[in-house]
Amino acid sequence: MGMRRRVGGFVLLVNPILCDGFGHCAELAPDLVHVDEWGYPVIVTEPVPLANLAALESARYAVRGCPRQALRIERVSDPH
Amino acid sequence: MIALTSPYLWYTTRATGLVTMVLFTLVVSLGTLVANRVGGTTVGRFELNELHRTIASVAIVFLAIHIITTVADSFVATGPLAVVVPFVSPYKRLPVALGAIALDLMVAVWVSSLLKARVANASWRFIHWFSWLAYAIAIVHALLTGTDARHGVGLVIVLACLATVAGAAAWRFVARPTRAAGRTALSPLGVEPEPRGVQRDRAPTRPAPGPAVESSARDATPFPRRPQPRRHR
Ligand code: SF4
Repeated sequence: MGMRRRVGGFVLLVNPILCDGFGHCAELAPDLVHVDEWGYPVIVTEPVPLANLAALESARYAVRGCPRQALRIERVSDPH
Repeated sequence: MIALTSPYLWYTTRATGLVTMVLFTLVVSLGTLVANRVGGTTVGRFELNELHRTIASVAIVFLAIHIITTVADSFVATGPLAVVVPFVSPYKRLPVALGAIALDLMVAVWVSSLLKARVANASWRFIHWFSWLAYAIAIVHALLTGTDARHGVGLVIVLACLATVAGAAAWRFVARPTRAAGRTALSPLGVEPEPRGVQRDRAPTRPAPGPAVESSARDATPFPRRPQPRRHR
C-alpha cells in the first residue's frame, strides 16, 4: 500500500448480443468469470481495483481470447 | 546475393510448399475444433484457440518463404506480379493463378484477424469462411503445380491433408454447435469460483453493428440466447 499510482478499478463487461458462449473467458479469467449452466458467462459486477494486476491481466487475456469480441474492460473511477 | 540459379531455391520452394500445406491443414483443423467448442476439460478451449492462431502465424512464414523463393528463383519464370494477380504467370498459368487466388483469400483472412478488435465480428466471421475456399484452391494448386505432390510420398501427404480438412468441413457442417457444452467448474484448482454478483440487464456494451456489417448465413439463425440468469434457483 505504498504508492497509490493506480487508482480506480475496472469491470469486465460482456455484450450478450455478441456472446455465443464459447467459454474462453471463463478459462482465461476464472476469478472474474463464471459460466452458467448453459455455458454463458456470469461476470463479477463489482469493480476490481486496477492495482490488482493479476486480475487486470487475466481480464485482458479474456478480451483477447474471446472469439466473438464480446468482452471489454471499462474503467470505473470509484474502486470501492 | 545468393546465386539465383542454384537448385536450392527451387528445393526450398518445393519443401516449403509441402510444409505450408501441412501447417494449414493443422490450422484449419484446430479452427474447426475451436468452432465446434471442443475442449474445456483436459485441454482448454482457449488453448486450442491459441494453437490455432500461433500455428497460423508459423504457416504464414512458410508460405512467405514458399512465395519469395519461387519468385527469386530463375528456374521458373513467374514474376512478382503473379504472386497476387492471377493469370499473369508465364509458367503454369492456371496452377500459379490458383495459388495467387488462394493467397489473396488467405491475406484477407489474416488481415481481418490482425484487425479483429477493429473489425465488426460478423464481418470477421464472414471473411473467415474464405479460409475453406482458400484451402481447397491451394490443394488444387498443389496437385497441379507441385513437383512432388503428384506421386509417391508427396501425393500421400496431399491426400492425407485433403482428407483431414474434408473431414473437418463435414464435421463443422454436421455439428453446427448451437450452445456451449462443457464443464462449468473452470478454476484450475477445481474449485468453482463463487460469483459475487450476477450480470444484470445492461445495455449492450458496444453499439449494435452498423449497416456496413456483412453477415454470414449462420448469423441469420442466431444461437439461442441464454435465458435470464437467476442467482438462486
Ligand atoms: S469468450 Fe466471449 S463468446 Fe465466449 S463466453 Fe466469453 S464472452 Fe462469450
